[in-house]
Amino acid sequence: MRIVLDQVSKVYNSAQPNEVVALERVSLAIDKGEMVCLEGPSGSGKTTLLSILGCVIAPTGGSASIGDKKIARLPDHFRTSYRRQLVGFVFQHFNLLEERSLLENVTLPLYPLGVSPRVRRERALPLLQRLGIDHRRDFPVRQLSGGERQRAAIARALINDPPLLIADEPTAHLDRPLAGEIMDIFAALKAEGRTVIIASHDPLVVTHPAVTRRLALHGGRLLADPPGQR
Amino acid sequence: MTPHPLGRLLNILDYALSSLRRRLLKNLLVFAVFTLVVFLFSSLLLTRGALGDLAGRLLAAAPDITVQQMVAGRQVPIAASACEGLRGIPGVGLCRGRLWGYYFDSENGANYTVIGLPEGPAGQAPASLSHAVEGRLPQPGERGKAVLATAVRQQLGLEGRRFFSLFRPDLELLSFEAVGTFTGSADALVADTILLAEADVRHLFALPEDQNTDLLVDVVNPLEVETIAAKIADRLPGVRVISKERIAKTYRAVFGWRSGITATALLLALSAFVILAWDRASGLSGEEVREVGILKILGWQSGDIILLRFCESLLVSLFAFLSGWLLAWVHVAHFQAALLRPVFLGWSVLRPQFPLLPPLAAADLFLVLAISVVPYLAATAVPAWRAATVPAHSVL
Ligand SMILES: Nc1ncnc2c1ncn2[C@@H]1O[C@H](COP(=O)(O)OP(=O)(O)OP(=O)(O)O)[C@@H](O)[C@H]1O
Ligand SMILES: [Mg+2]
Repeated sequence: MRIVLDQVSKVYNSAQPNEVVALERVSLAIDKGEMVCLEGPSGSGKTTLLSILGCVIAPTGGSASIGDKKIARLPDHFRTSYRRQLVGFVFQHFNLLEERSLLENVTLPLYPLGVSPRVRRERALPLLQRLGIDHRRDFPVRQLSGGERQRAAIARALINDPPLLIADEPTAHLDRPLAGEIMDIFAALKAEGRTVIIASHDPLVVTHPAVTRRLALHGGRLLADPPGQR
Repeated sequence: MTPHPLGRLLNILDYALSSLRRRLLKNLLVFAVFTLVVFLFSSLLLTRGALGDLAGRLLAAAPDITVQQMVAGRQVPIAASACEGLRGIPGVGLCRGRLWGYYFDSENGANYTVIGLPEGPAGQAPASLSHAVEGRLPQPGERGKAVLATAVRQQLGLEGRRFFSLFRPDLELLSFEAVGTFTGSADALVADTILLAEADVRHLFALPEDQNTDLLVDVVNPLEVETIAAKIADRLPGVRVISKERIAKTYRAVFGWRSGITATALLLALSAFVILAWDRASGLSGEEVREVGILKILGWQSGDIILLRFCESLLVSLFAFLSGWLLAWVHVAHFQAALLRPVFLGWSVLRPQFPLLPPLAAADLFLVLAISVVPYLAATAVPAWRAATVPAHSVL
């Protein structure tokens, strides 16, 4: 399952006074099992690029595909379908529902698929165990620590067993030892054969041994030669 | 993975339930107002239905034609001999005088209807009457005996006693013995009634021998009632002729008018309900937008969100509808529509103890469903759609 972007652009508020060119003709290809680190200063378009790869938004120009699926110009409904089949997304701001329990939050993607409560639980518990938060499964999210939330967000991204895992600044709010642990989790997921794409400017992420490639964005353009590329 | 339709529905229903629990206070408020409106409206319908039944029974007992003498626009006694003048009209059956009047009990501040015991051709009380009485009727020719409605018995304070007195116009005190009480549904129809021998009524009201309160005319063929009523009005100058059909119209008008007042009150409640529904429906708070955005970015489709909203509204409105209807039924059938009786039955000091038995009409049920649950769902459809169009990337 190869990911290909060809001349992908994204313009927000096109032809309006507040027009923003967030991505400009980005082309890249990512192979199955790669662990790609996406760097770039704030506002350079990292989240925008991840959202296109993650079938959350459509680019305004160019073409994109995941495996044999074209994802650039799709009606909302189909993009959502691909999103839940192909992508696990760990959001920059977690996007957890504060009042609902950890278990509920992690299994939210399974509701519209009609997965029964029992099966939802059976699928969530091993993930929570693996991430070391199963003792918190009935806690409302608002009572969880930052690290626990981050793990919850990762567990939820994995609940559909997606081939592609996308994480937006997953270590930004964590202390160093915790950030290291999270990166080890991603490394393990990569080792399982999943493609992992992480946006970050955290040195700990950028220099992690599991990272196979580094990409750098600047002002919406992909730099040919990222700084410090090994 | 293709979604499992039933599982999807159950899961979304489950999610809707827990959402409702989360906003318990607000939803309870909506539920309460909704239940109240359904309760009021259903009570109204059920009471009207029950009273309609009652009116039907009253009508069944009413004579085909009543003839009253009018002087200066007021009813005065009519001579029994007037019946002679009607004999020649083809189709006229039995014609007889009736004695009745209103008696004001100044001590208790109550009005009674005093009725002379109607007698059949053989000087015998109709059999249907004796079945409706517990105890006995005054025998033919017997004086000083009375049959009372339960409400009158209470008003007179007769528990345990048998004798009571009424004043003649010249303040002579007449004493009567209560020998019977109306029972069952008859009691309801004659709630303020005192039944006496005709001679006693004549004496009590000091009516001259030949005079009656009004005349009752039976008609052989029910289809000819209106025609014969018109002929009677021609024959007898200065009389008012009341046919069964006109009584029916009067009942309908009274019920209609009284229900009109209630309907107005109901309209107020309904508007409150609409405002509430609208508030609940239109208010898409920042938090709600965020929740929908999260669900959508996690793979919920717009249709899932609409279904979720629909389930929430349906749960609230359907349960409120059911409990409102059930409460209304208990209210009307068990508590005799205690809250609506003053509206329907007017200002009589005696609250007639009508045993209301609401008819079980599916049409009523669907009517209430149609004016409560359906508009509520409709009112929440637009906001549900608005919520469903919150874009997934709004939470990025
Ligand atoms: N929905 C939007 N509407 C308009 N402009 C947007 C929108 N989302 C992002 N932008 C703009 O696009 C540019 C790229 O944003 P993006 O979020 O992709 O940057 P980023 O690299 O993720 O930044 P950060 O490191 O701060 O998260 C920014 O200038 C931002 O203001
Ligand atoms: Mg970002």
